[in-house]
Amino acid sequence: MAINQNPTEAESFRAVAPEPLPPRPLNIPQFVETKLANGLDVVLLEDHRLPLVSFRLAFRAGDANDPANLPGLSDMMNALLNEGTESRTSLEIAEQVERLGATLSAGANSDYTTIAASALSVYSDQVLELLADITLNPSFPENEIELTRENAKQMLIQQRAQPNFLAGERTASVIFGQHPYAIVSPTPESLDAMSRDTLREFHRATLVPNNAVMVVVGDVTRDAIIERLNALFGQWQPRTPPQSNFPDPPVRTRRQAYVVDRPGSAQSNIIIANLAINRTHPDFFPMLVMNTILGSNASSRLFMNLREEKGYTYGAYSSVDARRVLGTFRASAEVRTAVTGDSLKEFFYELDRIREEEVSEKEIGDAKSYLTGVFPLRIETQEGMVDQLVQLKMMGLPDDYLHTYRERISAVTVADVRRVARNHINPDKAALIVVGDASEIISQIKPYTSNIEVYDTEGRVKTDLTDESVGA
Amino acid sequence: MPPTIEIPIIPIEQFTLANGLRVVLAEDHASPVVSVAVYYDVGSRNERTGRTGFAHLFEHMMFQGSENVPKAAYFQYISNAGGTMNGTTSSERTNYFETLPANQLPLALWLESDRMRSLKVTQENLDNQRQAVQEEKRLRYDNQPYVNGFLRLFEMSFKNPANAHSTIGSMEDLDSATVDDVREFFRVYYAPNNAVVSIAGDFDRDQAKGLVEKFFATIPSQPNPPPVDVSEPKEVAERQDVFYDKLAPVPAFALGWKIPPRRTPPFYALMLASHLLFEGESSRLYQKLVKGEETVVQIQGGIDERRGPSGLFIVVIPKPGNELAEIRETIMNELHRLATEGPEDEEMQKLHNNLVNDGVRNRQSTLFRAQQLAEFALYDGQPELFNTELDNYLKVTGAEIKEAVATFLDTENRVLLDIVPGAEDVAPAAPLGAGEPAQPTAPAPQIPEPPASDPESSAKQTPATGAYAQNDRGQTGADNLVDRK
Repeated sequence: MAINQNPTEAESFRAVAPEPLPPRPLNIPQFVETKLANGLDVVLLEDHRLPLVSFRLAFRAGDANDPANLPGLSDMMNALLNEGTESRTSLEIAEQVERLGATLSAGANSDYTTIAASALSVYSDQVLELLADITLNPSFPENEIELTRENAKQMLIQQRAQPNFLAGERTASVIFGQHPYAIVSPTPESLDAMSRDTLREFHRATLVPNNAVMVVVGDVTRDAIIERLNALFGQWQPRTPPQSNFPDPPVRTRRQAYVVDRPGSAQSNIIIANLAINRTHPDFFPMLVMNTILGSNASSRLFMNLREEKGYTYGAYSSVDARRVLGTFRASAEVRTAVTGDSLKEFFYELDRIREEEVSEKEIGDAKSYLTGVFPLRIETQEGMVDQLVQLKMMGLPDDYLHTYRERISAVTVADVRRVARNHINPDKAALIVVGDASEIISQIKPYTSNIEVYDTEGRVKTDLTDESVGA
Repeated sequence: MPPTIEIPIIPIEQFTLANGLRVVLAEDHASPVVSVAVYYDVGSRNERTGRTGFAHLFEHMMFQGSENVPKAAYFQYISNAGGTMNGTTSSERTNYFETLPANQLPLALWLESDRMRSLKVTQENLDNQRQAVQEEKRLRYDNQPYVNGFLRLFEMSFKNPANAHSTIGSMEDLDSATVDDVREFFRVYYAPNNAVVSIAGDFDRDQAKGLVEKFFATIPSQPNPPPVDVSEPKEVAERQDVFYDKLAPVPAFALGWKIPPRRTPPFYALMLASHLLFEGESSRLYQKLVKGEETVVQIQGGIDERRGPSGLFIVVIPKPGNELAEIRETIMNELHRLATEGPEDEEMQKLHNNLVNDGVRNRQSTLFRAQQLAEFALYDGQPELFNTELDNYLKVTGAEIKEAVATFLDTENRVLLDIVPGAEDVAPAAPLGAGEPAQPTAPAPQIPEPPASDPESSAKQTPATGAYAQNDRGQTGADNLVDRK
């Protein structure tokens, strides 16, 4: 029964959704590009609408380049860059940055490292000089290394109390195996092994100009910025960039469950995963469209099924994690412990359905409409635009990527969607990661696979309940 | 002397329909998008004992269908039009918002008006969303370390039950909600005279005005909802408690103070004081405890901004092996220092530049603008504060900061909560260690964020957040091309 506040006569214009107004064109600005003598690539987009500027100095080497015996080295190095330079202490850097109302930080994902600064454009020169200082002249003071190390160890303890961390850790490990994408955090041992010399050498080897792009978006002018960059970075010497020769990930031959036992969990964190595509794979755009239908947002199949219909969860999604070298497909949700098995049933139902049945023309039309429609939002702000440009450069996407994005989405067909679903979603050989109360959920998982490994929250195997062993 | 930055004034138009609906328009053609925000003057402050969690549960019900829109079709309509949407509930208000391509403004107004006038409530939908909310509670609170302890801090800080209870509510109260309760809630609070509609972005003013009138003018007004008493007694003694947390890996503690309502002179001063105390790595408490004495892993704080008495809190993860009492004494000494010496000139310069930077940066997003305008219209009847409120912060002097800290923070009149790992029957080990700062009670969105995949998010960065950057502000989300909603 509809509650009308005080129903007046039928307002028939409300009975159907209104027609849209005429569409308004989107102007996608094009960046200009140049290269310094030392190989540093510069990408610049002037934007004078507001007095802001954003800088991103991005390097084509991420934490996948950490030495195998030193997981977390990139993170440690990045954390220490603004903890002291040849001419500034940690406190001076913090004070000088924050006094400008600016931000300056460094971080890395698997594939690239970014040193980022943002400020009011009136402070562009100062913040760029600070960015250059921490990039070129970090001093890695011993006391700061020690402090960062000790705090990082405490954060490891915190992480292990969080179920989503445990789920992600186990997923990365089983999917990527010996490939460095498997590593999601340091260990106390690796942290202890990170000496000042190691950090300095890693910094020299990783942050090289000829493997980097400086992306600038905002209220600056081209000539002034180029001149400033030459002044600050011109003496930076090129070097052979770090090489990336990574071992292959494992080939999965069967569906297997990996339970991380977290007694007393109020929910089960479920991730169903398998290897899929990397960023430049030709199936990327069909995968985006497929994933929009299956599970990227609240109107997608997984959300509508597991939350809106069944009430098992606050949110259920799927994702296409396409990195530079490899990628995964994942379906995930945090569900009430008692319906762990029922949730798996629905997940597998949806994964099978999108593989077996062609999606309807309406569904694919809606998905394309969504992806093309939200596109302007991604570049509405300076932060959004600079982010897109960093990805474009770091992932080796074509210069006209932003300009051709929408038409490439529009070109995806129903047959494409089914093809990529069949090729890149493999429920029969998937890894099934569940973080939760093992005593409550193992019996619920068994109908979906009898191959079950159990881990504790420290990441150690507890028992192996594969069908070869004697299990309960 | 910091340079003068020209912060662009946004043009604002406001009017009120005959049924009492307040409307705010801010036209801007920078990007072909439009954001619509609808704010209802109802939050957890309006809930009575035994009915906690209702405003938030009700927010969920608003997506479950109305006369012309089937259950969950809201998500479909917005997504299919190329938009994003969400809703949140706080102590103060419930908001709904969407951002769409500019030419889809009629769709947003149709959807918002249909549910304002004709919500469809069934037992089945209520049961379904009760389950979703209960899973939300498990996800964000019950299955996480520290967060429930953080809710306890608020229970201790506020004496008035209207202020003290959490927005998520209790499982028992949620279980007891009936369809009749929901219908009554809608009748009382979801009326045009209890709401604001704001539109920011790329639209034509006359056209927008016409659409608003077409869709909203015939919705009948309701009697004004009953007023709510959010007054608080002035505490005269320190309150202390222990919260046992089976999921906490190490101990933590939190401190809380009651402070005056938003938009009062001491509130502005305390907002700036909080920035000096715990925002950023040059902040006083960070430098003293994390860097100087090295006794703390993390220190975080925030202000819970309300129309009534508000709250300021600090949450600390100490390092193991440290005496918590000593850490607390250091914190109180730092508060005392600020209360007696006031800020330094460089710190005032920092505040100034931070305020201006945030003020400019936030303006980029149509969603932020729509939300901020709606909030100023709802709470103050003055959406034009969007352009002028920054001045109230910029003109705060060092002496005012000093005095506000002296009056409201440098005092025994505060709350202390220890969060101890383990169950209640386990005696705490003596010195208490560190804990992770619990999430501040930011209003959670109706639609949770999909999981971030590693390469989609750009390299980890610490965003600039002024202490006054509110946590429900428009998150434009630097959504990545690679598969985000």
